[in-house]
Amino acid sequence: MAIKAPHAHLYHSIKLEAANTKLGGGGRKSLYQALNLVAYIDMMTILVIFLLMTFSASGEILFVQKNITLPDAQSWTDLERAPVIGVTKDVVTLDGAQVATGEELMKDSATGDAKIPELADRLVTAKNNYKLLHPTEDFKGVCIIQSDKSVEFKMLRKVMFSAATAGYQNVNFAVRPKAKGGAAGPAAAE
Amino acid sequence: MSVSVQTGNKSGKKELNAELNLVPYIDLLTCMVAFLLITAVWTQLARLQAQQKGQGQAGEETPPELQVKIVVMVNQEGFNLVVGQDQTPIPKKGAEYDFEKLSTEMKKAKDSHPDKNDAQVASEDTIKFDTLVRAMDTAIQARFPDISLIDSGAAGI
Repeated sequence: MAIKAPHAHLYHSIKLEAANTKLGGGGRKSLYQALNLVAYIDMMTILVIFLLMTFSASGEILFVQKNITLPDAQSWTDLERAPVIGVTKDVVTLDGAQVATGEELMKDSATGDAKIPELADRLVTAKNNYKLLHPTEDFKGVCIIQSDKSVEFKMLRKVMFSAATAGYQNVNFAVRPKAKGGAAGPAAAE
Repeated sequence: MSVSVQTGNKSGKKELNAELNLVPYIDLLTCMVAFLLITAVWTQLARLQAQQKGQGQAGEETPPELQVKIVVMVNQEGFNLVVGQDQTPIPKKGAEYDFEKLSTEMKKAKDSHPDKNDAQVASEDTIKFDTLVRAMDTAIQARFPDISLIDSGAAGI
């Protein structure tokens, strides 16, 4: 096969007479204007790379509540899906639904019982649902406590006791990840 | 955008300009940016694992009297590190808890009991959650990965 010198051929083989007449001049000034897309494509590429680097396959497990400021911790691990108990000075919630008020928890019970009945009942329901939905898996008894950093242990103790009575022995405390060097991680609950 | 190949001669031949069709590429980038922006997680949160395990409760295989217990008592005066029968009070520095000294003492405890992986943080009712998290964080950094958070009454000290 003979080797031929390269020559311009792209777009010239297509017979678009009307377009050629319109754009090609015909005595008038050409209307063809090339857009410089280099900067646009550069910006899009950098944006895609940044977003891919920050992409989290597990999605958003915890939604930061408005009045909760989480403490910082260096020895953190990644979150996993579990019932989320939110604790503020005013209210205790389970997956967003209120189960007790702070005022109730700060009172000393007459019987000395630290259990929060509604929280324990709902956690038992969640445990039964988990076992129904995952019959082949072992129930790990993990729950996440998302507590404000100024909450006293008295409230937490009752929440933890209620979780333990419902079968949730392993407690995970939601924290803001802090780098080993001392710099705080991304602001989460300001 | 065009790709230009210069032939180098001036013999009247046309330049080899080829228009790259960038529309699919821009479409792809736009779709990816939209998808990634929608699914982006902006708040990075993590967890600190703890257990609820008091003296003689589930999870302890050997009898409690044979175990060396490592307990960090947290009270209003500061910390009290209990390693077996030894107690090391770590008072506050002014109004602040002395986490540096706690870290040093816990590392010493780990050096003297290298097989020990569990420690308990026992708190009074009035201690703030932030202080407890920092105490647990300090214990984990001192190579006690199995942390239990318990009431000071349940520590059995």
